[in-house]
Amino acid sequence: MTIIEKIFSRITGKKVIPDNYIWADLDLVTMRDFGGPNVVEEYKDNFGDAPVFDKNKVAITFDLHIPPRDEKVARNQQILREFAKSHGIKLFDVNTGIGQHILLENGLVKPWSVVIGTDSHMNLLGAVGAAGFGMGTTDIAGALYRGKLWFKVPRTLKIIINGILKYPVTAKDVALYILKNLTTSGALNRAIEFYGDAIWMMNLAERITLTSMVTEMSGDIGFIEPDETIFDFLRAHSATDIEPIKADNNAEYERVYEFDITNLRPQIACPHSPDNVKNISEVAGKKIDQVFIGSCTNGRFEDLKVAARILEGKKVSNGVRLIIVPATMEIAQEAEKMGLYRIFLESGAVVVNPGCSLCTTGHSGILAPGEVMVSTSNRNFIGKLGKDAEVYLASPATAAASALRGRIASPADL
Amino acid sequence: MEESSSGHLRGTAWLFGDNIDTDQIYPGKYLPLTNKSEMANHAMEGTNRGEEFIKNVKPGDIIVAGKNFGCGSSREHAAIAIKGVGVTLVIAESFARIFHRNCVNTALPVLELKEVKEIRDGDILEVNIETGEIKNITQNKVYRAEPISELEKEILKAGGLLWYLKLVKW
Repeated sequence: MTIIEKIFSRITGKKVIPDNYIWADLDLVTMRDFGGPNVVEEYKDNFGDAPVFDKNKVAITFDLHIPPRDEKVARNQQILREFAKSHGIKLFDVNTGIGQHILLENGLVKPWSVVIGTDSHMNLLGAVGAAGFGMGTTDIAGALYRGKLWFKVPRTLKIIINGILKYPVTAKDVALYILKNLTTSGALNRAIEFYGDAIWMMNLAERITLTSMVTEMSGDIGFIEPDETIFDFLRAHSATDIEPIKADNNAEYERVYEFDITNLRPQIACPHSPDNVKNISEVAGKKIDQVFIGSCTNGRFEDLKVAARILEGKKVSNGVRLIIVPATMEIAQEAEKMGLYRIFLESGAVVVNPGCSLCTTGHSGILAPGEVMVSTSNRNFIGKLGKDAEVYLASPATAAASALRGRIASPADL
Repeated sequence: MEESSSGHLRGTAWLFGDNIDTDQIYPGKYLPLTNKSEMANHAMEGTNRGEEFIKNVKPGDIIVAGKNFGCGSSREHAAIAIKGVGVTLVIAESFARIFHRNCVNTALPVLELKEVKEIRDGDILEVNIETGEIKNITQNKVYRAEPISELEKEILKAGGLLWYLKLVKW
């Protein structure tokens, strides 16, 4: 069995096969400040004051508009605080960070966990061997009430990455390279399992970068078999009873892809699709207005450290805004302790409080018409971050190098 | 609209292409609407035949689309608007996961059919929801779609996910 088949088989108590429809008990139901208020409304309309299925298996995170930018958002957050209080649910307020990362840091997710949330990138939890799924408001409302949801067991694709990562090529470049090959519909309704030497050598941050972008391939979930790297992190973050998970040797995959990254150069996704991926050399020199380093894909400490190494002792190019956003407060504190904040501030960067920040419409930092941004996030759909703006997706190393040059630049060219 | 007790639907096909995203099915500028009949006034409005669809769609009509129908944002408005305008079934070569869920959860049946490209705009289809058999009355052809799972049928019969969860005894 593949990893997802094993997880769903254990939950249902019978051997599942791809395309089966099943009801699965959920280990954790989450919602965030966007989508969450609609869930609360739907819950109240349908189930009134009924208690949630298990208050210890529900969490609310404030990821997006933190602190609130206007009264409407403030009211939405108030609705969630009131709901959390009346049901005794854990709530991570505006001073915490991006939901999935908060769940990981608080020992709420581990291998075998089935977790749902109102976020299309819940599947990055596959980086620790957990099954995370983004869901609509009706799903979450129903799940809060009964603690179960229906699933179609996805078929699994196996992706083997041969060769090892060599700076300045990073996990983000590998993710973009895979996207270029699979395209944005290449993993539609599929699970992915990643294997290969490059994968085993990745730290948690790099694994998250890769698994988060399975969403852009239209995949349900991307798994990396968790190892000591992951167990150490989870143990240090108060997860208990951690049980390894791996696919069987004779697991059946719908298709196997092999990629060799030995000669891979830094990659960049050009407007307006995450699979419009090119070698940086093809677009190097393009003038930029803004750079964003952060997001659930590239906002961890290791991502910030790569950027800091490039920025140390240097100044952001005149006329370019560099916006840096740690994924969580824990990461921000670590970055502060290790001197990264001083480097960022001296380089001329704007450092924003932890959260999703410039991944989404409606956050401060939105672009003016015609402006160009290099972003470490995961999507560059047209209009998402400003009408007629252009967004290029790249690694933190490429983003930092480009901020110094004022133009799209490979970290190798510095 | 004709619907027999055995789960047969009969309606006219409205053809759409590949990768129709939820912003085409229900443009983002109408997200603040909460009234379902108001939402229905904008079904498919962002597609290249939006105006024609809204003007001429009849209760019982069937949407037939290509690959990855309903990709993009997870807005449930998309499913609600299509259902609200009277569409009783969506047939596509494949569906985006969350859109597929939203349809079933709001009691709008969906069928996956490999041969969607054989169906022409305006064809009269007679569909057996139970078996997945699709008769193309106009072209005198029969297709077999992947049947709807028993689990999904139960949700559809209950009138959607939340009704199902209220009623089910586990």
